[in-house]
Amino acid sequence: MISEHLLDIAMLVEIGLLVLAVCLFFAHGAWLFLHERRLRRLTESARGSLAHLATRGTVNVEEIEALRRIPSDVQVIALLEISRHLSGAAKERLSFVAGQVGVVDRARKLCESRRWSRRLRGARILSRLDVVDPLVQRLLSDSHPAVRAQAAEWAAAQPSVILISAMLKLLADPATQARFAVQNALLRMGGVVAGPLATFLERNSGRAAEAGLRVAESLAEPRFGAAALRLSRTSDVGVRIAAARLLGAVGEAEGAERLIELLEDDDPSVRAAAAQGLGRMHHWKAASLLAGRLRDSAWRVRRAAGLALRSIGAPGVLFLRRALKGDDSFAADMAQQVLDLPSAAASV
Amino acid sequence: MSDQLRLVISGILLKGQFLVLLYFLAVNGWYLVLLVSSLLELRRHMLLIADESRHLLLSSTLSPTISILAPAYNEEATIEGSLRALLALQYPNLEVIVISDGSKDRTIHVLVERFDLVPVKTIYEQRIKTKPVRSLYRSATYPALVVVDKDNGGKADALNVGLSFARGELVCAMDADTLIEADGLQRMIRPFLYETDVVATGGTIRVVNASEVKHGRVVRTSVPTRLLPGVQVVEYLRAFLFGRLGWNRLGGNIIISGAFGLFQRDAVVNSGGYLHDTVGEDMELVLRLKRLSYERAGPGKIAFVPDPVAWTEVPESAKVLGRQRDRWHRGLADVLWRHRRMMFNPRYGVTGLFVFPYYVFVELLAPVLEAVGLIALAIGLATGATDWTIAGLFYLTAYGLGTALTAFTLILEDLSFHRYETFRDRALLFWWALVENLGYRQMTVYWRLRGLWKFLRGNKDWGSMERKGFRPVTAS
Repeated sequence: MISEHLLDIAMLVEIGLLVLAVCLFFAHGAWLFLHERRLRRLTESARGSLAHLATRGTVNVEEIEALRRIPSDVQVIALLEISRHLSGAAKERLSFVAGQVGVVDRARKLCESRRWSRRLRGARILSRLDVVDPLVQRLLSDSHPAVRAQAAEWAAAQPSVILISAMLKLLADPATQARFAVQNALLRMGGVVAGPLATFLERNSGRAAEAGLRVAESLAEPRFGAAALRLSRTSDVGVRIAAARLLGAVGEAEGAERLIELLEDDDPSVRAAAAQGLGRMHHWKAASLLAGRLRDSAWRVRRAAGLALRSIGAPGVLFLRRALKGDDSFAADMAQQVLDLPSAAASV
Repeated sequence: MSDQLRLVISGILLKGQFLVLLYFLAVNGWYLVLLVSSLLELRRHMLLIADESRHLLLSSTLSPTISILAPAYNEEATIEGSLRALLALQYPNLEVIVISDGSKDRTIHVLVERFDLVPVKTIYEQRIKTKPVRSLYRSATYPALVVVDKDNGGKADALNVGLSFARGELVCAMDADTLIEADGLQRMIRPFLYETDVVATGGTIRVVNASEVKHGRVVRTSVPTRLLPGVQVVEYLRAFLFGRLGWNRLGGNIIISGAFGLFQRDAVVNSGGYLHDTVGEDMELVLRLKRLSYERAGPGKIAFVPDPVAWTEVPESAKVLGRQRDRWHRGLADVLWRHRRMMFNPRYGVTGLFVFPYYVFVELLAPVLEAVGLIALAIGLATGATDWTIAGLFYLTAYGLGTALTAFTLILEDLSFHRYETFRDRALLFWWALVENLGYRQMTVYWRLRGLWKFLRGNKDWGSMERKGFRPVTAS
């Protein structure tokens, strides 16, 4: 039989837990209310001073002193908030102010912390303020992927040769998060990465090359042509697909020849990418070969070939009409569907 | 009744109650583990997202395309508002596919009129068998909008049609009346960008009843003052904040809400899409994706992300709520039965050895054991076989511990997202956490038992869901 003593203990424990939860819940609510009210008041005043400092063109010592007196968490909130809306000289002034009030130094200290969350915060503050600092550059090789990704985001605003080369190395990063951030950052750097990226693609293969090819496709510069040709011959399917897309985006004669060869690739995704590339180039000389791909065993290849023929124009449409009367019902069906498409939906 | 028989019955009742008591102790103990796990996971998540700038994702051409699949059936009154909110979601490469599942009202006409739709032809590969598509429309003013009109075949069939037309690498399955927060997709996509083995992610569902809605967005949150929706706010918080988040860290998530989930399109299509003949099609799909990941040695991570939020209207009448809970439990039973070979099967790793048995013994059978415990307690007290000490201990173990855990979940919410800000809302939340054990929880036991019974009898009826509509903004 259970003793009443046990019941008393159980009841006491549960009542204790509930009382603790109630106290915590409401105490936290009260603290949150007061904290947010204080924060709102202080942030509003900091926001006003910062907007003044950033837009006026001159920095007033008294205003900086006033900002120094504000608690550090409020300084950071106000600075990061306003940084989103500034660029150029105004952003530089904001970074200067951040340095003067001590936010940059504190962020630097955070970047050197042993805890990843602090390093991440430090890198985020310096990124958002566009502060050029070798400490953040060092974080490109941090042990935590989120920190590496943040450092890559920072690097996007500082397109130097050293940084671009460090970023390209990160295209082989095993962590998707860091790789994605690096690809994004390289894209934001724009044309300056084209040269180093072309060299990188000529020397690398595998995952790094595939990630690089995606960036190159968005930049679509002719100097990627040679690397794309080489990479289109690798055994990695993903790389061949990305290379075929890049060849289609670059649009050179040699690329077109290679894309025609890729129409015979073993992998249907590569064949589809090749057909898509030829359509993108409006390569009318490949029309008869694309018409042959309307008989492909894979649906996606037939679709890509049909759409490519349609985008080539009159010669392609001629082949599509011929396919309607051909003996292959799959080719005829796809040709009919492509010809039925309204012109706006027929782009590849 | 002879003394000997009375003694035997009394013995059985006592031992039965001890077993049920031990069961609840074990379950609540496990919930405590989940609570700690969710606390750690939430802390990690908050550190990761603090001060992140998602606008970079918005401007990137590398962001994967997301196709939103919004099935609609007789939604002429609400479809325009819901769709405008979807089209205004902040995500760069977005496609919205509305699938009218043989609506008998003016849903299609409203869409054609308000969104400038024109009939088009398109090429699509029908890899999943569905009911016939009647017509396809694109909007002259919203390039991202596609509307499919098809024969009626149910939600699963509509989603499968959407899968055939979707061009995105990722598809977002949702209910037409769900309100996704503007930056919800940006937040929900993170696991796909950051990890390679993710096939599906789910966000948090919150209760919209009593909150104010303007242009398809929740502009002011509020805890309902009515019992049923109020208690459900607490239930949803518990389910998402400590249930799914806790399992996330342990790698045991197998549920993504049908109202708001993001999936890898190819993974879903290759697995055969949504099943028609089940009432738990969303859980079935997730469990199938998980099972196939083990069988094919492919990616199969199911991630729960706590900060993307979708708002849903919950039933306010006991009748409708009962039907919903009955259906959910039937769905759970059906899904677990379909995948029963995973149970204690080492081939399916943690899912087979741990998660699946948890869902069977805790989620599925809990109402049975709770009912047995309650009935035995009532008989015991009536016959004098049980004293009030045991009854008290039973209540404290079965419900008291649960209340304490719920209270700590509320703290978790407050420490992280604190969507309910006023003192009134806090007091109400706490009140509903206490009150849910006094009748409401026992009602859900009955509904879930009814669902189990209907499952055993082969009932696959969906039932109907009556909605009151969102509460508009009031002039202040």
